[in-house]
Parts: sequence; structure tokens; C-alpha cells
Amino acid sequence: MINRKWTCWLAAAALAALAAGCSKSGNQESTSEQPAATTAKKAVDPATTGSISGVVKFDGAVPKYKPINMSADPNCVKANAKPVFPDEVVAGDGGALANVVVYVKSGAADYSFSVPSDSATLDQKGCMYTPHVVAVIAGQQLQVINSDATTHNIHPTPADNREWNKSQPPNSPAITDTFARPEVAIPVKCNVHPWMKGYIAVLANPLFAVTGKDGKFEIKGLPPGTYTIEAWSEKYQTLDQTVTVGPKESKTADFTFKAGS
Amino acid sequence: MPELPPDDPIKSRSFANAILIAVFVLLLCVSWSLYQEFIGLRPWRSYQNRFASAYSGYVQKQMQARKAAEQQVESAPEYKKLEQTLSDATAAAKTQDAVIEKQIALVDEQRAAILHQFQEDRSLVGSLIYDYEVSPSPSRLEEVKNAKAKTYAIDWPEDGGKTVRKEFNYDQLNDTFNQLLDAKAQLTAREGDVDKPEKDAGDAVAKYLAEKLPGLNSSQLSGLLKTVQQMDVKLIQINVNPPGHEINDIGGVGLTDRCQSCHVGMDPKYVPAAMTLTKADLGLQKSNDAPFSSHPDPQLLQWHSLEKFGCSPCHGGNGRALVNVTKAHGRYADWLWPLYYPENFEAGCQQCHSADAWTEHAPALNEAKILFRDRGCTGCHNYAGFDNQDEQLKNTQREIASLEKEKADDNLKIPQLNKEGDQAPDNATAQKLYAEATDLTVGVSKIDARVEQLDDLSHSLLQEVKRVAPDLKEVRMKLNPGWIPYWVGHNWEFDPATKMPQFRLEPDEIQAISAFIWQQGIKGPALEKQPVGDAAKGKDLFNSLGCLACHSLGEGAQRVGGDFAANLSRIGEKANYDYLVRWIHDPRVRTRPYCPFEHRDLGPEDYAKHGLPYQFDLEHSRCPNDGHELVVEQATVMPSFRLSWQEARDIASFLETQKHAGAHYDQAGFLNDSSLADKGKALVDHYGCAGCHELSGFEDAARIGTELTTEGSKPIGRFDFALLYTKAQDGILPDGKESPRGSWYDLKGFFDQKLANPAIYDTGKYKPNPMDRLRMPKPNLTSEQRDALVSLLLGSTESTLPPSYQYKPADQRRYIQEGWWIVTKYNCIGCHQIDIGQKSVLMGLPMYQSDQAINLPPVLTSEGARVNPEWLKSFLANPALNPKDEDRNGIRSYLKVRMPTFYLSDDEIRKLVLFFEALSSQQEPYIPQRLAPLTETERAVARGIFTSPAAPCLKCHATGNLAHDKNATAPNLVLAGTRLRAPWTERWVTEPATIIPGTAMPSGLFVRQGDRWVFNGPLPSAAKQYKADEAALLVRYLLEMTPQEQAALGGRASLAAPKTAPKAGAVGGMK
Repeated sequence: MINRKWTCWLAAAALAALAAGCSKSGNQESTSEQPAATTAKKAVDPATTGSISGVVKFDGAVPKYKPINMSADPNCVKANAKPVFPDEVVAGDGGALANVVVYVKSGAADYSFSVPSDSATLDQKGCMYTPHVVAVIAGQQLQVINSDATTHNIHPTPADNREWNKSQPPNSPAITDTFARPEVAIPVKCNVHPWMKGYIAVLANPLFAVTGKDGKFEIKGLPPGTYTIEAWSEKYQTLDQTVTVGPKESKTADFTFKAGS
Repeated sequence: MPELPPDDPIKSRSFANAILIAVFVLLLCVSWSLYQEFIGLRPWRSYQNRFASAYSGYVQKQMQARKAAEQQVESAPEYKKLEQTLSDATAAAKTQDAVIEKQIALVDEQRAAILHQFQEDRSLVGSLIYDYEVSPSPSRLEEVKNAKAKTYAIDWPEDGGKTVRKEFNYDQLNDTFNQLLDAKAQLTAREGDVDKPEKDAGDAVAKYLAEKLPGLNSSQLSGLLKTVQQMDVKLIQINVNPPGHEINDIGGVGLTDRCQSCHVGMDPKYVPAAMTLTKADLGLQKSNDAPFSSHPDPQLLQWHSLEKFGCSPCHGGNGRALVNVTKAHGRYADWLWPLYYPENFEAGCQQCHSADAWTEHAPALNEAKILFRDRGCTGCHNYAGFDNQDEQLKNTQREIASLEKEKADDNLKIPQLNKEGDQAPDNATAQKLYAEATDLTVGVSKIDARVEQLDDLSHSLLQEVKRVAPDLKEVRMKLNPGWIPYWVGHNWEFDPATKMPQFRLEPDEIQAISAFIWQQGIKGPALEKQPVGDAAKGKDLFNSLGCLACHSLGEGAQRVGGDFAANLSRIGEKANYDYLVRWIHDPRVRTRPYCPFEHRDLGPEDYAKHGLPYQFDLEHSRCPNDGHELVVEQATVMPSFRLSWQEARDIASFLETQKHAGAHYDQAGFLNDSSLADKGKALVDHYGCAGCHELSGFEDAARIGTELTTEGSKPIGRFDFALLYTKAQDGILPDGKESPRGSWYDLKGFFDQKLANPAIYDTGKYKPNPMDRLRMPKPNLTSEQRDALVSLLLGSTESTLPPSYQYKPADQRRYIQEGWWIVTKYNCIGCHQIDIGQKSVLMGLPMYQSDQAINLPPVLTSEGARVNPEWLKSFLANPALNPKDEDRNGIRSYLKVRMPTFYLSDDEIRKLVLFFEALSSQQEPYIPQRLAPLTETERAVARGIFTSPAAPCLKCHATGNLAHDKNATAPNLVLAGTRLRAPWTERWVTEPATIIPGTAMPSGLFVRQGDRWVFNGPLPSAAKQYKADEAALLVRYLLEMTPQEQAALGGRASLAAPKTAPKAGAVGGMK
């Protein structure tokens, strides 16, 4: 009995592998074809969409940070009236955790979403990245601006996307670029100012939110379905939850990271 | 009746006659073979016997003469005096020697007496001390003390053969033993001192004899005579067989050489290296069959030992054959390497020395190589080793073009790959595609780096590419148009010594070629108009600057100067004055730069498009359109003399006077006939004019002639004697005369006739179309030059000798080899003596004879040892030693003859510096000797020497003071520190004449005292305290010389040079 079942599974797996192989080679031949275009995607019906909201918290003490020593660049010292602390963990009241990307990790692959034409902005201000974590959709324009009186370089070091490194003197035009592949999240560094670190979260769809200081998030526009929701934190990695959303339903999902882990 | 038996065939038939005949035949055969064995096949036996008898007579005569001479010398009073000194010294030394030897003998006895006991005691004490050291204890210490205190009785020998019994303890034994060792050393040294006069006297006698009677002495001669008389007549054979080759590997690398079996005089056993032997010596000068002379150039045999080379590898011939002269000399149909005729002996050198531009002891070959380049043979014929920068340049440019293409393709592909990556179905595929794009990006940057390098290489190569003939793109600016067709058709008439060969052209061809040349010429930008100069001043400059090292003036017997460049006697008939001025001022200047990528000459409009000034030179050598290296200079070896415009005008004005009275050229209207251009262009292409000239549309033209690198290896059947085949075999020359050497159906004959007149191989052929005729032009050669070139071609073989015979040194000598190519390319030897014994052109000119030789450019035989290579580099790059390229000589400002600027490429400079260093056996890299700074006392002594009336240095050496330097004849010593090497300078101040015979620098400034040089003149009394080497001191002083020091000496120097008193301010002008 069991044996037969396994055999079936194996056969199915082999078939799937074959099919994958075929579709792969097909793609290599006609590269302009969209990978997802093999199966027609559904449009989202705005009348039926629901939402998920919640609060991201963390359980434990806020790490103690020393003020950043910016004396290497007087322009950076000048730009900040008060001492600046690293923004690796930004906590609100009651253990609320900011800068967490909450997004639909799976469950929305069958829907097509349009890439928004407006761009996301990453500012370099006071020799820090604002926001610390910026989220874009794959293919969406990211605009990087320099509000400082010093030269920065923007150096994303992705795992799945193309790496680049561009210099941006003060008062120069914004640098715009896109990231083609979803990746949560790409570290960004400035090699001139080693303390500067930020993240670019590249998402497959617009079903995401980034928590503010209150730890709250709300993901809107979810077509009815079951989703794996992931919360990504720079410091505390990820937490997943499965949430089923019915038509026009608003669900709640809270996440609590364990600070010790 | 008995029945008669039938005829017994055995009884009745006899074979006697047949057998008799057979016996005779057999006998004949045997005697014939015996004859062949001992005489017929062994003609060398008779040669050796003849040699032995003739030579023993000669040696005998020599021996008698030598004996008589020796007796005469020995009876001379000087010799007697020397001999007397010797015998006195021997006698004087004898008594003292006897005493010392006796003392030594006693010391030896004493040493022997204690040796055994001392060694035994030492081992005992040693072992006890070891025990004590390993485990110390009072009892062991006691044992050591006891052992040391113990005494031994020894029979101690004393003077006079007595022995005394003496007691020695350990310490006494030890001390005595050491004392004896010292005593013996002292005695031996004293014995040496005592014997020194005897040894010196003996040396003096030997030296006297060697001076008066060089060569073998009578007893050596008598030994030689014995050797010759007892000569063992046998085959003399040299076998050199590299591994894997049999002795009889005919035509292979196995060398078997039996030439010396007949050429017995080559054997150093019979004719030692100290002797030479000629036919006349043997009384055989009239004989045509006396191959007994020794080698006329023994130096060559020292370099090429007979044991390794034998004779045939250098001389040709069949080294194995012995049956007769023809066979041995390889002068028969089947042998590919016949013996070279005497006028072509140096062909043998070329076989292994093909990588040389200059081979010592091969003057004809050297001349041939200079001719081959200078006459433009290389314009049509490839020959490995000769300048091929043009080919390298073409290859480089091709490579750049293909890299640019590759880069463009990659640049298209990179965004494509990134796009594919963005759209890839999974991250792994995306990563692979992104990585591919990144790799390509890096690849493109590598292409950029390579292109950059190739552009630099092009820059260097463009500087190195030289053409033997003028740039014809500039004809319209340079030439009198009417002269052009005359020259094309009658160049030998205009200048009988011209380098340009004579082409076989029909009148219509002359017109077409002239028209094409005229029409392809560039038309501007127009030349600057030049005012007229002073021809008389120009003449002085022309004669004194050194122009005559390359150019000549005067026709026929009046011709003076070098053959390297054109004769200028009639230049006034052809050249435009404004052009000449520009050319003389700086021959590198082009009217338009040429872009090898766009294949055209750029003009001001190309620069204006990019908002750039119309400026192109070595610093501005990139194309404004595409950034690639341009041809910014004329491809001429003529250097710049760094003249002022006025001087250039003076010289040009003088040259314009160089013309025949009443010379007139008709205006040639057809020059502008555009219908002739196509035909002209085809003819220019056909005759390969672009091999030597730069012509629009032919910048990349390939060489049209046969490659000649291995021409001498071609079998005779591949040379087309055409209708002269039978004549050549019959020994009838093309002009109908008989060939002095009989058949000329061989390579030598072919080359010789081809060079004399290439057209002869068209003799008797029906070729109505002139373009079907052989196109090689007739080169302008004397018969000696032809012989030299024939030697070069005969020696141009694919050598059958092992690679180890080839002269391709991997050590420093390689730099010498490489350097000579540059030295001969720029004709450095026109002005300088570089190789010992080599004469420059200037050395032979009337204005540099006897006391005027002092005005010659410096001799460079020791240049590598003399100067710091860093200095030499900067000097070769800019001989003015001044960033402004001033109108002067940088180092010898007092000479009128000027070291011009050659604008050598960096690579050429590097090779020349290494060349000079290698020629003087200097190690590379150069690490200067560290010289201790002078102390105040030393400086005072050195100043004393420097300003002494016995060494008035500043009387001749320049100081930078114009008034003083008017009379200067030697370089400014302020430059010594950066320029000179200390060891050379020391040899120079002590014995300059050994380095450069005839130098103005006096010898004998210092004398040798013991092991140091001492100044040979009055010195301040304080200086007498100086006990070290004074020449070395002066050198340290010179190499520390500063303008301030030289100025400070002004007052004192004026004692030596009363007319001048250089002041500090004047010296300050020196930078």
C-alpha cells in the first residue's frame, strides 16, 4: 500500500521535473517571454478585496547603542544637531517594532498586479538613510536623492539582483534604478560613510506594508484567498503566519519577535 | 683392339685460357684497388707528404734564423746587463737563502719533535675538560689541573745538530707549537723577499727576450721540426654528432669534416697559434695546388674552435669528400653547399649570424646589411631580422580594430544579458546571466586596457617606422614639378650615386607615374614663406654640424661625405626653398597627420570640428575623430639638429646654391592630366614604389618582392635563368664574355647577374607589354657592393647546423646584437666610433684630419663603462640636456659638430642603453659605487690637485662661462656626478690614452707608487700628508662637483687659464 503510494508520488515528481525542464528550455529560446506568462494571471477584482492589519512587537530589551561617530566627515557632524544612534532596532511604546516589512510571501502568485508608475524614494539625510528600510515592487523606480552637503555613494549588495555602486555628489540629480527580482531585503551601504546602512525590500506585488514606530501595519487590496504573510526584520529575521481572507474581510495578524533568539 | 674411348670432355676441353684471363683481370682489379686504396682515393696522403717536406724546410730555416737572432740578442750589452743582474741577484739570494733554509729546516725539526707529544697531550687535556664541563666536580677539575701540570721530556733539536732534553708541560707545548708556526711563516715570507730581486731580474730577461724576439724560440722550433718530420700521415677528421644523429647523416646536423686532411696548415699541432703560414713561406706562391696556409684570421678560429666547427660549416663544400678537389669543394651538381668563393667567404658568417646587424670580422657582410636596408631592398623584400616595424604596426592596428569590434559586440550583449536575467524564471538562472554580463563588462575593461597598450605600442612603432625614401605626399610643397618626370626616367643621370634604383620605364609610363605622384600630393595648408638666409653662414654650418656624416656634396671625384643619405650637389635644382627650411629646421614635421584608421590625411578641418587647434606631434598624437594614434612625423631617420629658424634658412639658402649652371626643366603639363592618374597608380602599385616612399592610398601596401630570409637554401632548379640557362652552364656571361670561373650556373652566378642587371633574365623573351617584364629595378652598386650582397644572399640559408651553432646569445651579448640594428639604422657610426677598429665617416673627412681630429664627435667604445645609464637615457632622449631643446650640445657644448635629436622611441632608447652597457661588459641594472663624502682635509688636497698648474683641468673643461668656454675642449665637470661612473673616471684620469687613443686628455697626471696613484706635480705642502690614492680622491671630488665649488675655484683656476676668470654669477647660468 505504502509502496504503491510512494511510487505514485515519485512518478508525479518526475513528471513535474520533466515539465519544468521543458518550460525552462523554452524560456531560454525565447527570452523576451515573461516567465509568468505561461499561465494566464487573474486580475484583482477591487470589489472583493479584503485586508490584513496588525502590530509587530518584539519581546525583550532594546539593544543599547552608542552614538555614531561621524567625525570622519565634518559635513555629517554639521548636519545633525543631536547625536545620532544606529537605527538597526527602532522600538516604539510597548515593544512595538519599526522598519519591519510585512508582505504576502505566497498565495498571490496567480494574480497580476501592475507596477506603480510613481517611484519610491530613498533619501540620504544627515548621513543616514531615510527611510531606513524602503520597499519597492520589482520593476518599480527607486529614486535616490542626496540631501547632504557631502558626496555619498549608493551601493546595494543584492543576492538575486544586479549589483551596482554609484557616486552622488551634493546637489546632483536623483539616481533612479529598478530591481527586477523580488528580494527581501537588499542591504545598501555607503562606502564613504561606513556607518550608513539601509535596506531595499523588493517585493513581487503591492501587498505589503512597512511598520512605523507604532509597529502597526495594514495590507490592503487582498483578493480572497489563503496567504502566507511574512514579517521581515533586519535584526530578528522573519516570522510567517498563514491567514485566510474572505471577500471584503479584514483580518488581524500580529507578530512578536523574540529578542533573545 | 681396344675400343677407343669416346672423347673425354674433361681431357679434351681446357679452361686454361679463361682462367689465365680471369687471373689477369683479378690481378688488375687487385692492383687497381690497391692503387686506389693507397694513392687514388687518398690524394691527401700526397698533400700531407708534400706539406711535411716543404714545411720542415721552412721550420729548419726559421730555426736557424732564430738561433742566429737569439745569439745576437744575447750578445747585446743590454741583455748581458740584464743577465748579469740576474746572476748577481741569484748569487746574492743564494747565501741568504741557504741561511733561511737552514733555519726553516731547524724549525721543521723542532716542530716534528714536539708534534706527537703535543697532539697526545692536547687530546688528553681536551677530553678531561669535556668530562669536567659535562659533569663538573672538584675531582675532575683537579684531574685537568694535573694533566696540564704534567711535564714531558723531549729531545729538543738545537742549532748545530745538537739535541737537548727539555721538559714541557701542556701550556709550554701549546705556546711553543704556535711560536714555531709563526716562525716558519716569517721565514718563508723573508725567503720570498730575498728571492724577489732574482725573480724580478728573471722576469726582466724574459720580457726583454719576448720584446726583441717574439714568437717561438729555437728550442720550441726544434720541437716543432721533430713533430713535422715524424708526421703521421693519416686522415684528419672532425666529428660532431648531436645526440640522435649518425655520423653519415648526410645533409643532417651530423658534422663530418675532413678538410684538414689536405689543408694541413690549419692544424695547430703543426702551425701553432703564435705562427702564421703562407704559401710564400713554403716557397709555393706560384702553385695552384698548395692548400697549406694557416687561417688568415686566427681570431676567428679562437671564436670558432676547429674541434667544434671544422671548415665546411663556415666555408661550404663537402667536408666528407676526399677523392678530389672538385668533390671536396662541393662544386658539383648534386651538392647543395658548394665552397664559397673568396669574395663571398662572409656568406659563411651569415648562416649563423643572421640575427646580427653587425658582425665583428665580417666587414663585407656588415656593409651588405647596411646596403640592404639603406638601398631600400627591404622596401620590397621581407627578410627576418630587418626592420619590420611597418608589419608590426599593421598587425597592431589590425588587432586594435578587431578588439574594438569585439568590444562593440560585447557592449551590445551586456544589456541583453541583464535583461534576460531580469526576466529569468528563477534566481539561479538570473544569477548566471548577471554573472555572464558582469564577466563581459570586466572583459570589456580588459579590452580597453589591451587597446591602450596597443595604442602605446603603435605610438612607439610609428616612431620607429622609417622609410628609406622621401614622403611623396609632400611633392607639391617640396619639388620643382618639371624635375619629377626627369628624375623618374633619368635618376642615374641626375645623380650617378643615387640610392634609388633604375626602373625600366617607357616614356608613357614615366608620364603616368609622374602625373599620379603629382596628383596624389597634398595641397596644403600652405608652407610658411621664409625670408632668404645667409648662404655663406649656411655653408659653414653644413660643413661643421656633421651633415656630411650622412650626406655628400660634390660630384665624381669631388664627392665628400657619407653614403647613408642623398648627395646634395644638385638639390637646388629640385627643392623648394620654404620646404627645405622647414625640413632642415625639423625634418619630422608633416603637413598633415595620417590616420591609419580612417586611412586618410587629416586636415585643420578635422581638428576644428572638435574645437581643437591644428596641432599634432608626439605629445598630441591621437586622432581627434577616433582617439587612435596618428602618424604625426615624417618617417625619416634624419634627426633634428635643434637649429634656430635663422640657421635653417642659412643652410637652406646654401643648399639652394647647389645646382648645375643653367639647369632647366620643362614645365610638364601632363602632371595635372587626371586621365593619367589611374594608369600611374597601377604602375606605382606594380613597381612597389610604396616600399620606400609614402604615397596616398598606399600606406598599407605590402612588400611586392620575394622573401629573402632563406633565399640561399633554394635549390638551383628554382632559380629561373630563363634563356641564359645554357650560357650559364657554358660559362658565357650575358655580355658574351667568358666567365672567369667557368660555369656560373649556381646561386652565386644567379644573384650576381641579377644584382648587376635584373633585366638580363628577360633576354630574348617576347614581352610586348612592359608590365609583363621582370619588375625588379637595377640597383646602383659597385662590384664590391654586389659581392657583399651576394655573400649576404648566399648565407641566407635555413641552416643545417645544430641550433647550438647559431649565434643567438641569451646573455648580455643579445643586447649588443639588438643594439647594432638601431646603431646602423640611424647611422650612429657616421659620426661615432663604437666598435674597436671601426672608422666613422667623419673621421675620414678632410676637415677632421691631424690636429683637427679634436673636433670629432666623441669615441664611444667605452661609453657603457663611462656613463650612468640613467643619464644616457635622458641624453639620448634629449641631447641638449635641456627641456627647451636648446640650440646647443648638452654635454660637449664646445664642439661644432652636433649630436642631433633622433626622437628615438622608448624601446630604442632602452635597447641602446643596454647595448652600450653590454659592449663595455657592464652589469645591468647599474648600482653606482658608494663614494664616501670628502672630508675638509680631503677636499683641500683635491682642490690642490684640481687647480695645480700640472693639471689645469679648467683650462680645457667647460664651466658654463661663455668667455671661458670659447676655448673649452672638454665637458663641464659639474655634470660628472650625474653622468660618470666612478671606476671608469678613475681609469680615465690616470690612463686616458688606453681608453681613447689620441684623446686631448693628457696621460701621466698620476704616477703609480706601490699600490696607489700619486699626483704627478707640485701640491701644497699640506697635501703631502695625504697617504691614500690621489686619483681616487680626485674622482670623488669630481663626482661631487657643484657649480658653487667650480665658481669658488675661479680665482685659482685663472692661474691656469689666464684669459678667463669664471665668476660665480656666470657659472650660475649653468643649470
